[in-house]
Amino acid sequence: MNKQMVWAIAEKDIRGITKNSQVWIGMILLPVLFAVLVPIGFILVIKYMPSLSPEMEQMVNKIISGIGNEEMKQELMSLPSMTHQMIFVVVNYLLGSIFLMIPCLNAMMIALNSFVGEKERGTLETLLFSPVTLKELFVGKILSAFIPAMGISLLSFLLFGTITTILTYPMFDEFIFPNSNWLVMIFWLIPIITIFTILVNILVSARAKGFQEAQQIGGIVVLPIIGLFIGQATGLLIISPVMLFAIGAVLLIANAGILKLITKYNDRNMLFTKQI
Amino acid sequence: MPKMESMCYTNFEVMNVQDRGRITVSVPFIESENVSKDFNGQRVLQNVSFSIDEGEVVGLLGPNGSGKTTMIRLLNGVINPSSGKMRVGDYNPEKNADDIRSMSGILTDGAGLYQEMTGLENLVFFSKLYKAYDLKRIKLLLEEFGLAEAQYKNVGKYSTGMKRRLGMIKAILHKPKLLFLDEPTNGLDPEGIQMVLKYIKALNQQEGTTVLLCSHILHQLEHVCSRYLFLQQGQIIESGTLKELEKKRVNIIELKVETGLPVSAGEFGFPAAAAGENVYRFTLPDRSDITPLIQRIAAKAPVYHVEIENRDLESLYFQIRGGKNE
Repeated sequence: MNKQMVWAIAEKDIRGITKNSQVWIGMILLPVLFAVLVPIGFILVIKYMPSLSPEMEQMVNKIISGIGNEEMKQELMSLPSMTHQMIFVVVNYLLGSIFLMIPCLNAMMIALNSFVGEKERGTLETLLFSPVTLKELFVGKILSAFIPAMGISLLSFLLFGTITTILTYPMFDEFIFPNSNWLVMIFWLIPIITIFTILVNILVSARAKGFQEAQQIGGIVVLPIIGLFIGQATGLLIISPVMLFAIGAVLLIANAGILKLITKYNDRNMLFTKQI
Repeated sequence: MPKMESMCYTNFEVMNVQDRGRITVSVPFIESENVSKDFNGQRVLQNVSFSIDEGEVVGLLGPNGSGKTTMIRLLNGVINPSSGKMRVGDYNPEKNADDIRSMSGILTDGAGLYQEMTGLENLVFFSKLYKAYDLKRIKLLLEEFGLAEAQYKNVGKYSTGMKRRLGMIKAILHKPKLLFLDEPTNGLDPEGIQMVLKYIKALNQQEGTTVLLCSHILHQLEHVCSRYLFLQQGQIIESGTLKELEKKRVNIIELKVETGLPVSAGEFGFPAAAAGENVYRFTLPDRSDITPLIQRIAAKAPVYHVEIENRDLESLYFQIRGGKNE
């Protein structure tokens, strides 16, 4: 594999993202929403709401009772008020699952465009006529989605951490963020889920003729994350470091499977024929 | 890679080739043997066989949809044939196409450039893909093709002709041994056409680059190509040098003569018709009839211009295509 070729493709695509305002505005909008506005909104509403609704109390209790880790459970129970407990739960459980939308949606947007974009611009033909191997082409495309998606996720993590700490430290007199959920997520699950989303969407992108067609199929990847969020909110599925680690492990195996699929079903002929 | 074994060709010569004064026993650089290609059940190419020697500039001629572009795609290994064998250099396009693509340059019909990138960015990107990044060479070529000033502009803002010239630079960046040019002069103004054709010729003469060129604009090719392949409905219906084709296809001579005074064309013993003011078109059975005819005309009126009309590439093209159709 020729590194210079791989980087040339990745660099070209990353530059393409920064030049396309539609794409980068979308990419920045997500962190603003999920790492800034949503946490600020949640925390402030809970902090200054005069009385908590019984439904919300119920949700918090459900989540607390569902936490497997006894130590964590005790720590939560010992918090001075329901408001404290609720904020802790929101920051470390609810918002954690919704935070996954940032890497997923960003990776999806870029990866979907990877091949479809070349097809729509009529440049895939030129790429396929060049001596770049399919492996180099795919690795370049994967990198071009991974680097910005992961970079934005890390920045969002810092942003989220700073904002929640500013808002919660005066209340708790300690750092409630990041707990172990967050650490497993950012250093284990998010990189894996980002690659997973990229691989699925690149596979779709290479086969689809147009962006819309690709978007419809590729968008399905986001559904399990919404499921995870709903699971949290209803107390059915409480995230824990072990669980996040396990999800990551499963996705890691899935990644290997998709990589095999990509190498098996994407030869130059197929890619070329799909674009004409 | 071993060379493709004993290919035998029925419709072309080539074993002893006179190559710029040297007599060499050569193995053709490109060979295609009975290549067919189907797309969705439709036959696009049918038993195409030909060969091209190293250093030749060959014109692949034929109407739209005759299979020219498909042939180029097959030789580059981006699509595979339904049947038949091919070889480019030492490589088989079905197995070692990356090696073929490394040594070839290609200009496709759409040029395939990135509109949102500048001309220079496009070339830098492609030079890296071809493992031939050399900023000096890129700048030099931009200069030679008249794009030095436009190099920092986005390609989306280029005119069709500028895109074509940039596409041409992209094709030759890595000094390829073999060039595939699909309609290289499309959208170019007369200066651009001259520039590109001259460059192709110079590249061939100085570097020995082998060129396979598809075009519709036949009169431009006459000065560039050494040989022609005629493709129609997916089949090679004729091939040869202009001289060979003329010998084979031109049975009568249509001679256009411009004189200084009106003459009675019928009196010279050959069928004739007026073709403009003091211009006459004579139909002669043989080229040996030309000199006596001109001598007789010159005895009566000054002769300004004499031209055999039906032996240029365009006339031959229509004759060959017509002959096949009828």
